[in-house]
This record gives sequence, structure tokens and C-alpha cells, in this order.
Amino acid sequence: METVGSAPAGQLVVSQVSKRFGRLMVLDRVDLVVRRGEVIALTGENGAGKSTLLRICAGLVRADAGVVRVGGRIGYCPQAPGLFELLTADDHLVMFGRGAGIGRAESLRLGHEILEEFGYPRHDRSVTRDLSGGTRQKLNLALALLADPAILLLDEPYQGFDRGTYVNFWDHCRTWRDAGKAVVVVTHMLAELERVDRVVELPAHPSRLDAGRAG
Amino acid sequence: MSAMESFRRVVIMGEMHGRDLTKRHAALGLLVALPLSFYLSSAGTGDKAIVAGGVGMAFAVSGATLFSVLSSGEVDQRLVLSGYRLHELLLGRLAFLGPLGLALAAAFGALMSTVSDPARPWLTFVGVAAVALLSIPFGLAVGSAVPRELEGTLILIGVVGMQLAMSPTSTLARLLPFHGPQVLISSSLSADGPIAWPLALTFLYGAALLVLARVLVARRVAVTRHVPPTRATHTHRPEPGSP
Repeated sequence: METVGSAPAGQLVVSQVSKRFGRLMVLDRVDLVVRRGEVIALTGENGAGKSTLLRICAGLVRADAGVVRVGGRIGYCPQAPGLFELLTADDHLVMFGRGAGIGRAESLRLGHEILEEFGYPRHDRSVTRDLSGGTRQKLNLALALLADPAILLLDEPYQGFDRGTYVNFWDHCRTWRDAGKAVVVVTHMLAELERVDRVVELPAHPSRLDAGRAG
Repeated sequence: MSAMESFRRVVIMGEMHGRDLTKRHAALGLLVALPLSFYLSSAGTGDKAIVAGGVGMAFAVSGATLFSVLSSGEVDQRLVLSGYRLHELLLGRLAFLGPLGLALAAAFGALMSTVSDPARPWLTFVGVAAVALLSIPFGLAVGSAVPRELEGTLILIGVVGMQLAMSPTSTLARLLPFHGPQVLISSSLSADGPIAWPLALTFLYGAALLVLARVLVARRVAVTRHVPPTRATHTHRPEPGSP
């Protein structure tokens, strides 16, 4: 992996990132810049590499080529709620909070605040296995936001949300932008694209050169 | 990051893995019932029973470890992203599974010492404890190497089953992970069986399995760290220990 200088505070810079799974080229020399206080919608057909690009940006997948520069802490919300099925929301808040150096009481206080903003059932002590898909995604979103990251990478985080929470989510994107965060939302919801600053479409064809420059 | 902060993370991980695993009542019950049934069904047949029960306990502890690893497959990498270090994840598991394994070993050891009346009961406890402690890195390594519980369970059944079925003097049995504890348990049945070399073999095998588990876990949960703006120039810095 090439080494370069880091990004300015709050920015995400993707330069010439490529990724291949076996014989399938998923990302081919993708460029993308997300500035501080900017919300970007990442769109594209199924298999275009949106989730892969987000996972590369988060550091969860290694790119075959190119560089990613990140100017701050990352908050990542996956498309599928990968959680401990037999632990409660509070358990997850405490565990993820401790990873960021936040104590138990503070993690619970911050986490409950975020969860309440998204209409998470108050005082719910259910294990995550018993929660609906939308409720689990609310918890995933809260875990991504818990440490107040500078860069938010959200992979269709509203899956299973009811209508009210869904609208609320896009309102929050504006709030996060106003707070100076760089936000990337993978989405297929074309009706909401007017609520973001820029739309970046990853093409589905094999050559994805300069895809990120679209915006 | 301070040592105290790292310690707190290990404690939290141990607590959460404990909560997760102790809610798997049916699975844990079956895992304990398996070696218990091995022992009780052959309790009247002499020396073989205590070895079968003792080594069979590897099913319980390595099975519990396997479930612990595979149930957190998707979460572990995000925990590393959130700030955890690899060794904190591993030590957190060991902090819960170690005492759990030793508690099970004590219960099994007490049962078998009472029923089978070995010549050196204390060595029965040592042998069963060795099975329990060796089962943890074994379960960690298997759990980190396979994608799902089915494959992992089949490997456990294969390895522990071979250890039980083969003659302890055969070459292949000597290469299997639970040979050392098996010899220790066998030695407890007489006044003069070997202790030092099977104990050393157990220790060496445990250390090797821990290293292997560390490598496999690192591969599974590796996170590419992005350097913050105020620091040096490397954009991608692999998690220490990751390949």
C-alpha cells in the first residue's frame, strides 16, 4: 500500500482505490473526496462496490491499490446489523464506548440520548436477537455515533426504519453536516438525493475510472 | 493509552463474553452432557472411563470457546475499529473462559475421583485442568479458522474423537493436541505414571495453539488504521500482529 500524507481534519480522501474479488474487478481506480461539513450520497447498481468502498474507507477491507486518507475518527454503520445476538443494547453501548475510552456511565448516557433521538424503545432490555431489523439498525447507528466521529460512513443505515424515523434520519444528516462532520451515505433512495450536498454514482461496468469525480 | 485503560477493556470484554455465553443454556448444557455421558456410560469398565471423561471434557470447553468466537465474528472487527487492540479481545475471552474451564474441570475431577477412585486423585484434577486450559486456545484457533459453527464443531468432534479412539501409544495420537493431558489422566490411575513430560507437552502445545490463534484472529479482525492528520505520513497502518 502506497504511503502519502494524511487528510486535513474532518476530510476523507480516496485516491485511485482498486479492489478485486477473485476475477471480479469491483472497484477500479476510484477517487472520492468528502469534505468537512459535507453529506455525500453514494449510489450505484447492486454490485457496483458501494459497500466495499465504504468498508475500505473504514479500514475493514484492504484495497488492492490506491490510498485512503482520513482526517479523524471514523464512525461506521454496516448494512447488516452485526451485533452480539444475546446481549442488550446497553451491553453494546458499554462495550463500544470502552473501545473509544468512554466509561460505562457516560457511554450509557450518550447512547441513550442518541437512541432516543431515533425513537428507540425506552428502557428496552431485550437482547438484540429479539429486536426488529429497524430497531437493531438504530442501535448500530448509535454505536457508530457514540464516540462523536468526524467522519460518518453509513451503509444504508435506515433499513427497516419506520417512515417517521426514516425522515428523521435525513434530518439528522443535515445536523451532522452543520456540526462539521463528513458524511457518506450509501443509498438507493433517489427521492432523498436532494437532501445531500453531492451524489457520487459508482458505475456498474468493469471500468470505474474516475467514478468518484462525478460530483 | 494507559495500562489501566487496557485492563478495563479486557474486563469489559470478559464480562460481555460471559453474558453472551451464559445465555446459551441449551448449547452449554449439551456440551457438558456429552463428556459426562462418555464417562458415566463407561464408568463400570475400569480405567478407560476416567480418560474418556477427562479428555471428552475438551468438547465442553473448546465448544464453548468456538461459540464465543463465531458468535462475535462480525462484531470483533468493528470493536477493533472502535479502538480495541487485538490482545484485549483475546485476553477478554481468556478472562472469562479460563475460570469457566477450571470450574468445569474441578467439578469433573471431583466426580471422577469420587466414582473411579484413582490412585492419585490430585493428578486427575491436574490432567482435567490441563484439558480445560488447552481447550481454550484450541477452540480459539478452530473458531478463527472456520467460517461457521458447523465446520468448527465437526473439527472438534474429529480431533477429540480421534484422541479418544486411538491408542495413546500410536504415533498419530502423540501428535494430537490432547495427548499430554491424556497421559496425565492415565498417570493418575497408577502410582508411577509420568508427569513432567506430559505437563511440558501440554504447555508447549498450549503456547503453540495460542500463537496460532493470535495469528488467525489477527487475520479475521484486521483493521487498516488511518493515521490522524497531526501524525506521521503512513496512510494505512495494519493492526499490530496482523499479516
